[in-house]
Amino acid sequence: MIRRHVLALACAAGALLPFHASAAGPIKIGFPIPLSGPTAVYGVPILKGAEMAVQDINAAGGVLGRKLELLPRDSKGNPDEAVRVSRELIFKDNVDFLIGTLTSAEAPAVSTIAKENHIVFIAPSAETVRLTAPENLHPYIFRTATTTAIEGAAGAVIMAKWPDLKRIATIAPDYAYGRDAVAAFLAEMKKLRPDVQVVDQQWPKLGEPDFTPFITAQMSKRPDAVFCEIFAGDFITFAKQAGPLGYFKAIHNRLADGGQVGSIDTAIPLGADYPYGIWADAYDPVVWPTQKSAEYQAYERNLAHFMKSKYGSGWAIQGYASVQALVDAIQKAGTTNDEKVAKAMLGLTYQTPLGPHTFDPLTHESNTGDFWGEMVKDPAYPFAVIKDPTYYNPMPATN
Amino acid sequence: MAASFLFSQFISGLTTAMFLFLIASGLSLVFGVMRVLNFAHGSFYMIGAYLAWQAVHWLSPLVGAFWVAALAAALGVALLGGIVERLLLRHLYGRDELYQLLLTYALVLILADAAKFTWGTGQLSVSPPALLAGSVKLFGTTLPHYNLFIIVLGPLIAIGGWLALYRTGLGRMMRAAAYDREMLDALGADVGGLYTTMFVASAFLAGLAGALVSPLESVVPGMDVQIIVQAFIVVVIGGLGSFWGTFWGSLIYGEVLAFGILIVPGFSLFSVFALMAVILILRPWGLFGRPIR
Repeated sequence: MIRRHVLALACAAGALLPFHASAAGPIKIGFPIPLSGPTAVYGVPILKGAEMAVQDINAAGGVLGRKLELLPRDSKGNPDEAVRVSRELIFKDNVDFLIGTLTSAEAPAVSTIAKENHIVFIAPSAETVRLTAPENLHPYIFRTATTTAIEGAAGAVIMAKWPDLKRIATIAPDYAYGRDAVAAFLAEMKKLRPDVQVVDQQWPKLGEPDFTPFITAQMSKRPDAVFCEIFAGDFITFAKQAGPLGYFKAIHNRLADGGQVGSIDTAIPLGADYPYGIWADAYDPVVWPTQKSAEYQAYERNLAHFMKSKYGSGWAIQGYASVQALVDAIQKAGTTNDEKVAKAMLGLTYQTPLGPHTFDPLTHESNTGDFWGEMVKDPAYPFAVIKDPTYYNPMPATN
Repeated sequence: MAASFLFSQFISGLTTAMFLFLIASGLSLVFGVMRVLNFAHGSFYMIGAYLAWQAVHWLSPLVGAFWVAALAAALGVALLGGIVERLLLRHLYGRDELYQLLLTYALVLILADAAKFTWGTGQLSVSPPALLAGSVKLFGTTLPHYNLFIIVLGPLIAIGGWLALYRTGLGRMMRAAAYDREMLDALGADVGGLYTTMFVASAFLAGLAGALVSPLESVVPGMDVQIIVQAFIVVVIGGLGSFWGTFWGSLIYGEVLAFGILIVPGFSLFSVFALMAVILILRPWGLFGRPIR
C-alpha cells in the first residue's frame, strides 16, 4: 500500500518537472548550404565556420546545459533542393532551428518554409533585399549577411571616386541577387555621379560555364569601368575566360566586384590568374596590414587548424557568427522555444570575431557591410590580397 | 558598332559551336545508326574532363602533359563506352526504346555520383597548354590561341568523320546499319561489332571534347546535364542522325547565342530556344533530318 502511494507520488513529481528537462538531448540546428556546384566555394567554408562555432560552444558546456548538433545538407545552390532538404530537416530530423542557404534564390524559398513551420531561420549569405521586404518579413527570419542595398551602394561610393569615368557597364548573374545589387548600384551612382552614362548591362545566368559571348559583347561597348556581381566559382570561370580575351586590360582593371571575390576562398583557387588591380570585397579579409584584436587572431589560428589549411577562410566568419547569434538569442530567451528565441533576437547584439553586430528590431537585418580594397600581389602570400581593407556601409538602415 | 567587335562575337560563337559539334556529333551518329538516345553522352563528356584534370595533375611538370592527358582521357572514356555498350546496352536493342532511355538515364546518375565520389564536389580547373597559352590580335580583337585551335579542330573532325563515313568500308557498313539493320545482319555482317565500334567512337569524341574544354571552363559536377541539353538542342535543330545537320546546327546555335547577347541582352538563351521552335515548326525533322522510321 505504501509502495503504491510512493509510486503515485513519484509519478506526480515526474509530471511536475519542467517541460524542457524531459526534452533533453542536443539542440538541433539544420544547415542547408551548397556543398556542390559553383557556389560551394563559399558554402563549404561557411559550414566549416559553423562547425567550429558548434565545437567551441560545446567544449565550453553547450547552451542551457545542452549540446548543439549541426545537421548539414547539400542544397546544391538550388532553391528547390534547398526547400526539399529543409522540409526533411524539419519533419524527419526535427531540427529546432535553421541556419543556411547561400544564394538569394534559396533563402526566400526556405524563409517561406520557416514561416510556415515557425522555425527561426538565419541567413548567413543571401543578400537580396526581398528576403526581408515588408511583404516577405515574418517573425522567424533574420540575416547576418550584408544586403544588396548596402553592397550596391558601396560599389557606387567606391567607383564614383575613380577619375575619368564617363561610361560604365554592369555584369551580374541574372537572378534576384544580381538584379537587386545592380539596381542599388545604379541608384546610388546616379546620385553621386549624374554625369556618368550606363553603356552596357550583361546578365549571364548563375552557373554559366561560358562567359565568352558576354565578355566580348561588353567589350564592344567600350566601358571605362565595370560594376560586377559575379561571385564564387562563377568568378573563377569568368576571370579565367576574361583574362585571355583582354577584358581587364581594356578597362585598365577598373572593375569593382561586390560578390566577396576578395575572399581568400576565391583568391587561392585563382592563384596567379587573379585579375590584380580590380576592387573586391570580403566579410573577412584574413590578411590585414595591421594587427587585429587578440580574439580575432585566436579565431583565425583556430580556424586554420580546424580547416586543416594554412590560411583559413574569408567566409567561415559568416557561419561562425550566425551560430553565435543563435546561441546568444537562446541564452537571452532562456529557452529553445522558437517564438521566444525569435523575440529575443529583436535588437539583439551578438559577438563576431570582427566585432559586435545588432539585429534591427524592425527589419531583422544585421546591416553588415564588407571590407573593400584593391586586389594586389603580396610577396608573403601565393594569392591576391585586399590592399588596406576598408569597411564600407553607406546605408546603415535598409528597407 | 565596330566591325572588329562583330568579328570577335562571331569568333566567340564559332568556339562555342565547334565544342558543341564535337559532343553533339557523337550523340547524333549514335542515334542515327543505333536508334539509341544516349543521355549518358554528357556524362562521357564530364568524365573526359575529370580524367584530363587527373592526368594533368599527375603528369604536370612534363612538357606536353596536356596533350597526353587529353588523349588519355578520350581513350579512357572510349573504353568506358565500350564496357557500357558490351555489358549493358546491347541487351536492350530489340526492346522498347523506353528501356534504353531508362538505362542511359540511370548511367547519368551513376556516373555523376562516381565522379563526385572520386573527385569531390569542388570546382577544378586546368591551365591551357603552354603551346597555346598566348593570343593573337586579329582585326582589332584579341583572340586566344586555344580558341583558334578549337575552331580549326571542329571542321577537321567534321571532315574526318565525313571521310570515315562516306569513303571507307567501315563507314559504308555503318550507314547500311542505319538504313536497314536486319538486312545487313542477314547478309552476314557483324552488326553487334559495328554497334560497339560506333558507340566507342562517339564516347571517344565526347571524352575528347570534355578534355579539350577543361582549360576554358571549370570542371564541376553538373556539367554533364548542362551540356546534354545544349547537345540535344543542336541535334534537334540539325536533324537527328544527320552528320552535317549537327555541324550546321552547332554553328547556328553558337552564333545565335553570341549575337543574341549583343542584340537582345538578357534574352540570349531565349533566342536559341525560339530559334529551335521556329525551325521545328517549319521543318519538323530539323534542317537536314529525315522522318524517323
